[in-house]
Amino acid sequence: MHRVLLICAVLCSAACPLAAVAQDLRVPASVTAGDDVTIPTTGSGKATFYLVGPGVSRKSEVSLGEEIRLQGQELWNAGDYLVLVCSDICNSGTFYVTAAKPASFAFLVHPSRVPVGQSDAVSGVAFPFDQFRNLVLTPVTVSFQLTAGNKPLFSKQVRTENGAAWFRTASGKSAGLLQVVASLDDLSAKRAVQQVASDPCNLRITGQRIPIGVLVQTEPVHDCAGNVVPDGTIVTFSATEANGKSTVDAPIKQGIARAQIEATGATVVSVASGVVMGNELRIGAKP
Amino acid sequence: MNVVFNFAGWLRRGMCLAVVFTSLCGFVLSAHGADSAVQVQLDTKKANPRAVESLTERGILRDYRFAWTSIAQAFELNSLDSLEGAFAGDAKQILRGTVLSQQRSGFTRQYLNQNHRLEAVFYAPEGDVMELHDTAEYELRITDGGKIIHDEHVVMHFVVLMTPGADRWVIRRLQAVPQS
Repeated sequence: MHRVLLICAVLCSAACPLAAVAQDLRVPASVTAGDDVTIPTTGSGKATFYLVGPGVSRKSEVSLGEEIRLQGQELWNAGDYLVLVCSDICNSGTFYVTAAKPASFAFLVHPSRVPVGQSDAVSGVAFPFDQFRNLVLTPVTVSFQLTAGNKPLFSKQVRTENGAAWFRTASGKSAGLLQVVASLDDLSAKRAVQQVASDPCNLRITGQRIPIGVLVQTEPVHDCAGNVVPDGTIVTFSATEANGKSTVDAPIKQGIARAQIEATGATVVSVASGVVMGNELRIGAKP
Repeated sequence: MNVVFNFAGWLRRGMCLAVVFTSLCGFVLSAHGADSAVQVQLDTKKANPRAVESLTERGILRDYRFAWTSIAQAFELNSLDSLEGAFAGDAKQILRGTVLSQQRSGFTRQYLNQNHRLEAVFYAPEGDVMELHDTAEYELRITDGGKIIHDEHVVMHFVVLMTPGADRWVIRRLQAVPQS
């Protein structure tokens, strides 16, 4: 009977080969990325060592009773690492590698081009990373500064939460380059946002009859803050005469939009850009 | 004596049946684990400063599930092909490094019976990056030369950075962290 029990026990242990695995190695609880680590072992003879972590899958032979040395370059990536030492049975241990101190930023700023005078129009997000490109989750204070020309526009210090710091603010009053800087200790990252004029304001046209119709043009187009509306902005001219209506879209060039409209009778010309309407111009019939 | 003999026979048959049953159960569970889909639940209530739109939520669920299916395949088959599409930047580089070093070492990892509870904690104002926290449960099995050397049910916490690509959300950072 004992022999039968012994055979069954052997069969059972063959069917459950992991029953003897649940022993722990003495591994450090936490390691900073890039640091060397030593793991002591006990016993004698040879064993197979496995290191299973992010970016690393190492298998090597080790001598029990000696320390296992993990090079810092094997531990660059933050995350969980599993250590296995297998001889007759496998002993296991896990530890975490955490990010080192911040060494760079991922800094996203939007948009790249923004109309002036818009609320909540400019935003930025900063993620600090260590020298091994691990996300630094320990809270740090990031300073955001926005300057237009030499004038400070916005400044805020933000503590990272879950590794992220962000801001959102209004665009400035003047067209031109907006410098956006995120800094942390001696680290900084710069981005630029082009501030452009907002919608045209006080759109006015002048015109005259020419042999082939009517020539109309805007006065220099500005927004309400006096910024020149950028070239390429479309201005729509509409000419209405007794026998119909025609429409011409013209881009602003050097601050002025111009169009020739074929019209022989008395004509009323109106102008619009986006949702902004301008004045109406009445031009008499061709003599 | 007869009673003892009968008892021994009963015990022998019982033990052997138990062994066979255990082996069969192990095989069935293993096969089920390899084939079962990755389960992902997403909670976006805490996302700020931008709220997560329902279409985005569906995209994140779909693409995060695909990403973990890809990781499981890549690590089980030691294949780099599976990593195409779901990852970018550092995450892709680290996962490729993992597979390449597994190829050199000759062992494989399996992530079985995956269940991910995903929580969006940060969604950038312009919607160009999202940070998620994942509490993942799975069976981690490490096999070397056809022999299982480690098999453990683990609960892991991941910090995940995802960004929108041309037609999907991709993982740019996947970093395991200790439970806080």
